[in-house]
Amino acid sequence: MPPAGIWIDGLAQSCTYMTMAFGMVLVFSILGILNWAHGQFYMLGSILLYYAITAAGIPFPAGLLLAGLGMALLGIIVKVVIIDRVEGELYVGAATLALIFFFEGLASLLFGMQDRGLSMVLPGVLEMGGLSVSYQKVAVIVFTLVVMVVMYYVLHFTRMGKAIRAVSQNPDAASLYGISVERLSLVVMGIGCALAAMAGGIMAPVYPVNPFIGRAPMIMALLAIVIGGLGSLSGAIVGGLILGFLHSVIAYYLSYLAEVVLFVLVIIILLVKPQGLFGASIK
Amino acid sequence: MKKQKFNFTILMVVFMFLAVSAVFTTTAFAEEPTVIKIGNISPLSGPAGPWGQAPMPGYDAFIAAMNKEGVVVNGKKYVFKLISVDDQNSPEGGARAAKRLIYEEKVKFILGHWSWNFPSVAAVTNPAKVILMTRTGNEAVPGGAYTPKKMPYTVFGTPSHERFISSIFALVKAYPDYSKVGISDSTLGKGIGWDYVDRELAKAGIRFHHEWYPPGTQDFTPYITRFKEAGCDIVFGGGDVMAAMLILKQRWEMGYKDWKIGTAGAMLDPKMYIGVSGMEASQGFISQYDANWNFKKTIVNPKYVKMCQTVQKMASDAIGKPYNYTGWIEWVPAHLQILVQAMQKANTVDDTAAIMKAIRGGTFDTVSGKYTMSGKKTYGAAVVFGNPGVMSQIKGDKEVYFSESPWTPIP
Repeated sequence: MPPAGIWIDGLAQSCTYMTMAFGMVLVFSILGILNWAHGQFYMLGSILLYYAITAAGIPFPAGLLLAGLGMALLGIIVKVVIIDRVEGELYVGAATLALIFFFEGLASLLFGMQDRGLSMVLPGVLEMGGLSVSYQKVAVIVFTLVVMVVMYYVLHFTRMGKAIRAVSQNPDAASLYGISVERLSLVVMGIGCALAAMAGGIMAPVYPVNPFIGRAPMIMALLAIVIGGLGSLSGAIVGGLILGFLHSVIAYYLSYLAEVVLFVLVIIILLVKPQGLFGASIK
Repeated sequence: MKKQKFNFTILMVVFMFLAVSAVFTTTAFAEEPTVIKIGNISPLSGPAGPWGQAPMPGYDAFIAAMNKEGVVVNGKKYVFKLISVDDQNSPEGGARAAKRLIYEEKVKFILGHWSWNFPSVAAVTNPAKVILMTRTGNEAVPGGAYTPKKMPYTVFGTPSHERFISSIFALVKAYPDYSKVGISDSTLGKGIGWDYVDRELAKAGIRFHHEWYPPGTQDFTPYITRFKEAGCDIVFGGGDVMAAMLILKQRWEMGYKDWKIGTAGAMLDPKMYIGVSGMEASQGFISQYDANWNFKKTIVNPKYVKMCQTVQKMASDAIGKPYNYTGWIEWVPAHLQILVQAMQKANTVDDTAAIMKAIRGGTFDTVSGKYTMSGKKTYGAAVVFGNPGVMSQIKGDKEVYFSESPWTPIP
């Protein structure tokens, strides 16, 4: 049995994957596209938060919200300026792939390529018997819980949330009921990008900030989606949880072979359940 | 009569002016040094970009300092022009950069190479008879991609693996009561080069445990736990600075605050480590150190020590802020000194075969101390031996001298 530290670490890892995967699936369920630059919104969110704290002196929670709002706006601009003007899923996918290099290049120019950090945010560790957990990791877990509760409330108890679910299930029927799919897709793109940005922001004190930090969480979010089932929000959460725990536990036992084993497990899951664990519709 | 005297005076003045001008012009033309183009292939963009960019102010200032006097080979004076090309730390980028330097810029020498793309760069440089100075890696040991017959124009001018071994020696000298040294590196570096390091460490009786992680790993909790269970109290990395900063931070958060953490490679800016890992966790962080003016055991030619200090000031002036990075010293400058001294021995700047003959087995006085090239004695490769093995550590927000274990023998 791995020590408790490995399980807590797995939980913290899961939180990032869950938030990232949730945002990606949300966008996919309404727009029908995978935003390949989702990881770059994570990166831009952490950079925006870095400047908010170090240059403007904005407190961490407010900076986190600012990063979310800023990237929601950028996401909407990307939707209007690029996604809406490119025809065909393949070409939209290619356009968002191109955005990866555009955003990384832009960030390299403006931010520089050197690692920077926000280690001064929430410093210190929580001692629990023989176990030490950093406040930064505790913040990641608490933040993810809050986001998930808020998203559950929004999707189940607000008109907008119900509209999102309706459009994801049947856009034509939803529009007959007077729901503006176009306007809703803008909102969803904004929420998806804000979630990625806030995931990047909450992780900024934990890991270094640089223009290339969006790649790994994006791949892991994609894996979480594949495990949970493309188009399933609950699948994204469960997929993220499984992935985070598996990653930590397998790495503890098998060291660098962890990723190989992880990918083999994903292939096995897909062979047994091609639709992922939770099928392909929003739940 | 008076008019005649006046005309004669004017004539004399004009004659003297012309004579003096002619002498000066001739001298100027005679002493106009010839420019030798030096190529440099480094990652200047992408995730490894900071490591390629960090030494550039040092390289530029060093070349400028060398060009003030120039170098004389076979009675002729030469200066150098450094042309750096981005390889994005990729094999195709390395080959592309080598082709551009060789076929567009017409360089005959590529120095200061350290990227993970040696085979693709060497595949371009060797057929073109261009001298490539790089570092020891998995290629430069028996069974590696390097073969002297196929790559006669390759020089392993920086002994990275040997320096790593020296660093471990310096560490255990500084902490003689250590339990076990944990060695961490990304699977990118896994190969026979590390087998060689492990063999040498075992031979020296060092207690160590090796852990590999996938490239890009950020969560080191499982690996730190494995180090703990293996009984390690020092963890030293193979040069992946981001990994080292994360191990530094995460081991502190996990409660292993007394562990000593470090990595191969020179320290960028101590403030970066403090920013990422925290002030308290960063204290004592260990790196390799190239500031030859602070060496205590390694003997460096005083002329070069002074030169490097001047270069450091020149680089600071050029970038408009203090330039504290010293990692530039062991790459282009050390390689250039090996090259220049080999050119002087061979009496040529063009005949790369003759220059290579002078390099193999030769001893060279460099900014990092005296280097002896192995020639046929070891791998059949021109591998450099003799390196300072000096380490620094973070104290407060400064990088200071820590320990030293010069590596001198030729195996």
